[in-house]
Amino acid sequence: MQHDHGLTITHRPHSARLHVLVVAGDLDHHTAPRLRAALEEVTLAPGAGLVIDLSPLTFCDSTGISILVAAHQRAQGAGAALVLAGLDPDLAHVFRIMGLDRLFSSYDSAEKAVAALGLQEN
Amino acid sequence: MSAPRAARSEVEEPDIDSADEAHRSAAVSRYLSLDAPGDGALERVTSLAARIFRAPVATVTVVDGERVRCGAAHGLPAQAFQGTRATSLCARAVEHGGVLVIPDTLADPRAAADPLVSGGPGVRFYAAAPITAPDGHRLGSVNVMDTRPRQADAEELDALQDLAALVTGELELRMAAARTVAAERELRAGAERLARTLQRTLLPPALPRVPGLHAAAAYHPFSADEVGGDFYDLFPLDGNRWGFFLGDVCGKGADAAALTSLVRYTLRAAAVYDPDPRAVLANLDTVLHQEHAGSQAPPPYCTAVFGVLEPDGDGFTVTLAGGGHPPALAVRADGGVEIVHPEGGQLIGILRDPHFAQVSIRLNAGDALLLYTDGLTEARTGAGAMLEWEGLASYVEAAAPAGADDLLVAVHKLIASLGEGVSDDTAVLALSVPVHPTAAPLQEPWCSMTTV
Repeated sequence: MQHDHGLTITHRPHSARLHVLVVAGDLDHHTAPRLRAALEEVTLAPGAGLVIDLSPLTFCDSTGISILVAAHQRAQGAGAALVLAGLDPDLAHVFRIMGLDRLFSSYDSAEKAVAALGLQEN
Repeated sequence: MSAPRAARSEVEEPDIDSADEAHRSAAVSRYLSLDAPGDGALERVTSLAARIFRAPVATVTVVDGERVRCGAAHGLPAQAFQGTRATSLCARAVEHGGVLVIPDTLADPRAAADPLVSGGPGVRFYAAAPITAPDGHRLGSVNVMDTRPRQADAEELDALQDLAALVTGELELRMAAARTVAAERELRAGAERLARTLQRTLLPPALPRVPGLHAAAAYHPFSADEVGGDFYDLFPLDGNRWGFFLGDVCGKGADAAALTSLVRYTLRAAAVYDPDPRAVLANLDTVLHQEHAGSQAPPPYCTAVFGVLEPDGDGFTVTLAGGGHPPALAVRADGGVEIVHPEGGQLIGILRDPHFAQVSIRLNAGDALLLYTDGLTEARTGAGAMLEWEGLASYVEAAAPAGADDLLVAVHKLIASLGEGVSDDTAVLALSVPVHPTAAPLQEPWCSMTTV
């Protein structure tokens, strides 16, 4: 199978401490460095929140998973929260098998994730 | 810069030398072997030549063995200029050497046999400049034709030679591009061959014979171009216990093969140190973390199932630990299929404090255990959904396999039937307890590299 849809990352600062990254297209070993670069640009201060919205994602390979896990660890190290939103059923299934559902909090939509993080901030 | 000018002469003996002609033909076929897409460059040369000469017809031709081939034509269809070498004016131009000008074809014996002169358009004027390869061989010519007798001035003929030199440059460019593509393809093929060979060395050439057990394994590569990182093994532990594992490292190609090597040897060494399945996976996790320490690359990881077999009456107790890997299937003697899932096991090598889960089951006479990598369960079925382990379990239940070999045949058929739905390598390891161990034939362990 060819995955050549490319990857589009949109950064939507929600508030000073809450950011949303919308990741669309194919996340594979060709495009993963761009997600990593985008993630590194987000400042994660203690108490900050980052939502990665994967609802427009069409493909995710092992490198993509590796980048997401590394980002989660960086956020955890910084005392910030990184959560996922909009995993399609196949990706959610893969995450369950890999035991990543125990690592990532995951929400149906970016809005729900933002709301959940907002509650935690109060 | 244009090519060195040959002296312009209108009457000269053809210079056909057989050894030279063989070299020339070889040069022509090198250029003609390029199946270059027409980008219009030769067409532009012919239309420019016609415009410079204010002539109705211009062509680019190549003399190939006994034939004259037309690369581009202006004013008439290219087919009109294909012909046998013996009669063609274009062949005379190549034999001639320098620029050839025939002001009136009816007055020149070299032109008499050309069908373009004797029939068809009735060519009366002909001028040609040879297309000369850098090694000096004349490959063909840029030709201009008119239907009335006329002269050509020095400026027109200079321009014709420049156009011929342009064609040489264009052919050189195409050849260089083709050479680059071929060299790159060769390099890639070499790297893939190496990775494929390396991967083969990472799979056991044959599984050992375990008393009271049938074991079988297969590797189904998805693509001949790109190697995956699936692995498995079965090996003796202390006393009468046996260890086995199956898993999948992240990534593809040579990096994945190198990681597979590390994982495989670490698992075997860790099992000697402490064969508790969960401890084996925890040790592997530590080693992968150490391997990655200080590196900026995405952290490498793997998923794996590690198990210990312990003889127990007429069967075995199997203790199975899983790290981020899809569940195993137990195929019972009565035909039932159970999901054997050390639930909650996490990826190995990438998480800070991963959890590895463990379960124990009994394999009695007639039971079998199937381990596989996610290339199988993430394959798409005809309906477009992933097969998942529920789909695999139903398939295996319906196939009702009798023993490890049968189970592998069933999986092979399944992979074949999924066809293009499969998008990753799949490794399969099957263990079964024969119903009558003493009566069972001594089976050779079976390990195949099957292309699906």
